[in-house]
Amino acid sequence: MTAPAPDRRTLIKTGTLLIACVVGGAVVHLSPEDAHAASATPRVLTPAQADTLAHLGETLVPGASAHGIVEFIDSQLATDPAESLLIARYFGVVPPFRDFYTAGLAALDAAAHAAHGQSFAALAPAPALTLAAALLAGPPPGWTGPPAPLFYLSVRSDAVDVVYGTPQGFEALGVPYMEHILPPRRW
Amino acid sequence: MNPREPAEVDVVIVGAGAAGSVHAAVLAAAGRSVVVLEGGPPRKLGDLYSSQLWARRLKWTAPAAQNGGADPAGISFNGGHGFGGAAIHHYAVWPRFHAADFHMASDHGRGLDWPIDYDTLRPYYDRIQTEVGVSGDAREEKWRPPGAPYPLPPLPAFEQGETIARGFAARGLTTAPLPSAILTAEYHGRPACLMDGWCDAGCPIGALANPLVTYIPRSLKSGAQFRPGAHVTRVLMDAAGQRAIGVEYVGADGALHVQRARVVIVAAFAIETPRILLNSAVPKHPNGLGNASGLLGAYLMTHPSIIVFGMFDHDMQNYLGPTGGQLLNQDHFGKTATPGALGSRQWMIAQALKPNDLLGIAMSRPDIVGKALDPFMRKAARGLGNMVALCEPLPDAANRVMLAAERDAHGLPLARVTHAFGPDGKALIAAAAIEGAAIMKAAGATETWRSPIAGQHLMGGCVMGSDPAHSVTDPLGRLHGVPNLIVAGPSLFPTASAVNPTFTVHALALRSSEAIARDWSQFA
Repeated sequence: MTAPAPDRRTLIKTGTLLIACVVGGAVVHLSPEDAHAASATPRVLTPAQADTLAHLGETLVPGASAHGIVEFIDSQLATDPAESLLIARYFGVVPPFRDFYTAGLAALDAAAHAAHGQSFAALAPAPALTLAAALLAGPPPGWTGPPAPLFYLSVRSDAVDVVYGTPQGFEALGVPYMEHILPPRRW
Repeated sequence: MNPREPAEVDVVIVGAGAAGSVHAAVLAAAGRSVVVLEGGPPRKLGDLYSSQLWARRLKWTAPAAQNGGADPAGISFNGGHGFGGAAIHHYAVWPRFHAADFHMASDHGRGLDWPIDYDTLRPYYDRIQTEVGVSGDAREEKWRPPGAPYPLPPLPAFEQGETIARGFAARGLTTAPLPSAILTAEYHGRPACLMDGWCDAGCPIGALANPLVTYIPRSLKSGAQFRPGAHVTRVLMDAAGQRAIGVEYVGADGALHVQRARVVIVAAFAIETPRILLNSAVPKHPNGLGNASGLLGAYLMTHPSIIVFGMFDHDMQNYLGPTGGQLLNQDHFGKTATPGALGSRQWMIAQALKPNDLLGIAMSRPDIVGKALDPFMRKAARGLGNMVALCEPLPDAANRVMLAAERDAHGLPLARVTHAFGPDGKALIAAAAIEGAAIMKAAGATETWRSPIAGQHLMGGCVMGSDPAHSVTDPLGRLHGVPNLIVAGPSLFPTASAVNPTFTVHALALRSSEAIARDWSQFA
């Protein structure tokens, strides 16, 4: 059963961007924050990939996990690439974007194992930041994923999108959003 | 009648962007039956949501291209998808080409000559700016070539623009209001801009001149038919290979269709136009249509550009104004004005900033992560200033669009794109970087830095010329060797100048479409 989406008037009033998620087997429309809180099941990513992505996003842009980076990216990976809202399309990543993210996450995990003997998701904040930040300069030894700087820039931008790119993010920075038309219910 | 092969029309146009919509408006108004085939979706103003995330839908997805070379061109960000094409998300910075841009090879022995001069195009610039509504201050813009004054007063300068302008003045440089196809007052029933910086996401109020509010409505009013989701695979030729008879396309229903026409206009932007023509080879044109010179797809150009940033201690109001900027400087527009490089350059000053996205605040310092990011964002949200150096790329035949062995979902070979910036473009950027840092410092910036070099706009690939041995089309965009097949759009540019191309795209399309309407029997 699909839960009814809030009407447009409500969305404009609240300035809330919603995404379609699977919670308890049903598709519902939630904000990324609510989806995260409800532990919505990713539709494309595996739980392990979701954990790695959440930790990477949070490491690069604090707040990204709570603001729903996993839910945002996962929802976009389930979308027609022509309608995708991921910045990866600007970077020339060839669809399907799922391959780009899953290969990058796998490479990051392998790099974490090589350097620290554990998964990236299990790394403490300091070594996670050191490893993640280094991707901008180039691939760690043995990296087999997409170009490391490209992967870094994409995920960092995704994280910035969910933390700062919404009406709430603008408000937190103290700048006016000044929308003409707020986006509809899905990312 | 076969529903997949409707009746022949006078004109079929491939692409519903800036060039295609001008052609459609002019030819439909002249009484011609016109069908426009657009590969993307039908867009309307209500689809243009104020969000940098949702703005990404408007760009080309580019699954149809393999992008390579030392400096891959930004074929997704610079491209369009759907009604309005790239012009639906363009920033409406509309300077004119200068007279010297049209005869670079004759003057300097490098680059290419256009087959027309500025005086030929001038009346079309003047008419387009009146039809569309362009704001600016012709007297303040001391570099501007001759032309009618702008029909609308200039854009306002906010604190960011005024601050950076003081830096230019301190360095002995000049600024003028940015010429812009953004309304500063109500014009022809369209409202003035609210200066809220959502240009990249598309302007839903119609203050910015995108085709949804300019030439598409005029086309529809005159009876032109627009078909979305129509992916053109090739131009069809007669048995002798002498004339185009229509196009083949995969429709929104997934089936293969044919649209016959007496005149075919390909206005599918700088990648798709040569891709379609290359894929239309017939025995008489074994290497693609219009490719007897071997130059179909060659001379792809993108403007080398950088963003120079400055951090200031006061409120720059950097969230106000157009995305394209508030002010212009062309003090170094002369082809030899920058020592050690051939080519023009210009500054576009004080772009409105958003926190996220490719040109947003966070991306200005991609190295800042972790706990350091939020303090930076909070300071930059009010204190960051920026300006863009746009430099001229010399045309290089090695930068080109070809066909790949791989095919897309419609069976059309992918475009294989290769691009590298040349030494002159890099030298212009190097000079701009030094100058830009000095300007920001003079303006009071506490810290300055610059972005990596990137490409803005896409041009070339079907360059016009008088000599069929060295060009793809004639001066009106008509393919050499195929008199009823016309190319429209930035593909035609033999050189790129250092100005944004959309104004010139409109002017060329107006000139060409009026020639077709006037001299129909010579084309059809």
